[in-house]
Amino acid sequence: MPTLTTDRTTAATDAETADVALAQSGDGRAFERLYRGHAARIHGLVRRMLDANEADDVTQDVFVRAWEKLHTFRGESAFGTWLHRLAVNVVLARRKALGIERGRRSTDDSPLETVAARNEMPEHTVDFEEAIGRLPDGSRQVFLLHDVAGYRHEEIAKLLGIVAGTSKSQLHHARMALRKYLDR
Amino acid sequence: MLPVLAAVATLALLQGETDTTFAVRQGQRLDFSNFGGSVVVKTWRQSAIRVRASHSSRSRIEVSTDGPTVTIQARGRHGPALVDYDILVPAWMAISVQGSPSSEVTIEGTQAEVSVETVEGAIRVVGGSRTISLQSVEGDITLVGANGHIELNSVDGSIEARDCSGDITIETVDGGITMLGIESANVDASTVDGSIEYDGTIQDSGRYRLTTHDGSVTVSVPERANVTVSVATFSGSFDSCFPLTLKHKTKHRFTFTLGSGNARLELESFDGTITLCRPGQIHQPEQ
Amino acid sequence: MSDRWTDRLSDYLDGELGERERAELEAHLIACAECATTLTGLRRVVTRAGALEDRPPTTDLWPGIAGRIGLSTDEFSELRRMRERRFSFTVPQLIAASIVLVAASAGVVFWLAGGPRPEPVARPTQVAPATPQLAKWMPKVEKSSDIAVAELRAALAEGKRSGRLDSLTVASLERSLAVIDSAIAEATRALESDPGSAYLNHHLADTYRRKFNFLRQANRIASART
Repeated sequence: MPTLTTDRTTAATDAETADVALAQSGDGRAFERLYRGHAARIHGLVRRMLDANEADDVTQDVFVRAWEKLHTFRGESAFGTWLHRLAVNVVLARRKALGIERGRRSTDDSPLETVAARNEMPEHTVDFEEAIGRLPDGSRQVFLLHDVAGYRHEEIAKLLGIVAGTSKSQLHHARMALRKYLDR
Repeated sequence: MLPVLAAVATLALLQGETDTTFAVRQGQRLDFSNFGGSVVVKTWRQSAIRVRASHSSRSRIEVSTDGPTVTIQARGRHGPALVDYDILVPAWMAISVQGSPSSEVTIEGTQAEVSVETVEGAIRVVGGSRTISLQSVEGDITLVGANGHIELNSVDGSIEARDCSGDITIETVDGGITMLGIESANVDASTVDGSIEYDGTIQDSGRYRLTTHDGSVTVSVPERANVTVSVATFSGSFDSCFPLTLKHKTKHRFTFTLGSGNARLELESFDGTITLCRPGQIHQPEQ
Repeated sequence: MSDRWTDRLSDYLDGELGERERAELEAHLIACAECATTLTGLRRVVTRAGALEDRPPTTDLWPGIAGRIGLSTDEFSELRRMRERRFSFTVPQLIAASIVLVAASAGVVFWLAGGPRPEPVARPTQVAPATPQLAKWMPKVEKSSDIAVAELRAALAEGKRSGRLDSLTVASLERSLAVIDSAIAEATRALESDPGSAYLNHHLADTYRRKFNFLRQANRIASART
């Protein structure tokens, strides 16, 4: 099960802890180092949960918000964990502002059936990320939060305003659809 | 004393005066709307609400209870009623008052949540905890001795918060903001035309933002505060009662650090004076 | 083809099944090749998900971030370099959020001709050349503001006519609107003379946001008194 903490050496973790403390005291360079260390992961999350067109803008929003809220980080979790959760909240707020409705769980795999059908033509390939992008919205959000980001169903339920049981069934639906893609 | 009411009750009128008391149970809250007139709410030790009201003989006071909520409102025979209220409630009772268009609201001694919304009329609250929300369009707001999540909002009116603690958000358009004796790690105060004064704690890891367009900003900074201060102005000026070293200076903004710089203090005035002094040096408003 | 265990395979994979159910499923997997294959497929998906590559953004976003949080040491060079990214989303996003807020809470889409707009009293002798990015967001915001103000004025007039609104309340709202508009005019003049200033851009954007918040509040008052 993926976890939110990144695999780092102890030294790197210590360095990050120091950078967080420095950034909390207003050290811009320290915050820049934190940005450089986490930009890829946050950008990936944003790109997958929203879309590529929004990824740069919203990634900036995340780090600006992180700077504003840095004083609330108490070190009870890893900084990356705290930042990731903040990013998820920013993304969900953005979705709400854009009026993105959580897609109903489709009872079939039509989007990926289309993908799979096209995949039979050798000149057209769909990579795994694109396949994720074609999942129905609800399943995709749950899959990204659970299997990619490592959140538990109870946490996902709270974030998305659903019950844990729905989160589990959405996840299973997403995995089954993606499995068919991988099997081809 | 009347028992707890389960349905709408119309209270006895006597020459435009109402005086009645009824029991309430722990956990109930008071929802109160007044079309016009003054509202004074104070607390007492009894688990009861006493309502005294002066009104036209053609008006009636309605009290209803719906589960956790006790509602008091006035109805006039030919439209909204003008009533002056004097109410006693238990200190534990959460209070919500909606008075418009013209209601002056005074609440004293509460130890519970308070929410007041008026259009025209000053609001004065002494006490309050957990969530305190006071909103007026045209009216000054005064909050004393509250503790919790505090939101004070006026449009045409000044706002004063004294001896309060917790997260504080204050906003007005045309009016000054005065914060004295504040204990908080999170303060956000802004006005368009008015000055801002802050005399309170600057806590480590705290965040303080004071902004105005046309007005001065005056802040007291305790001796051993650890704070990074950002000052921004277009055509205003900056003054300090103690020496400091400016860094990161640009045309309209500069920063400096006191101590470890742990807290963040953002001060902005488009064309007013931004002043930093030590506690007690800020002008105290007359009592 | 699926059986009653197919839908439980993800829960099994995630350790969500109770002891008894897990034992039953494991017994079933021995007998059911299809479920076993499906489980293998699900495992591959989970493994693949965990191995997704995170690529950094193609453009360095740091200068924009630094500018927004006031960390730039040289505003002019930073902002000249990052102006496009900064102005194209920072301020309009801020304003757009306020516009959405106003429209949503008032329940009306304001698309009327704008009302009178305060003209700057004097123009700076050296007018900074209008940058495409600054021009992009300002007219849109001004138009939305004018429309919203016209709508509010109509609501206030109607309220006064019908007796629902006190004339003192209306006058107070008009006064406050004038205060905000005056601040916007001053900030706009300042920004015209110094378009690269991060502080002035944010200050103007903040003041517009205050205006939209005020209009939302005023509209609520104007329409609530029924």
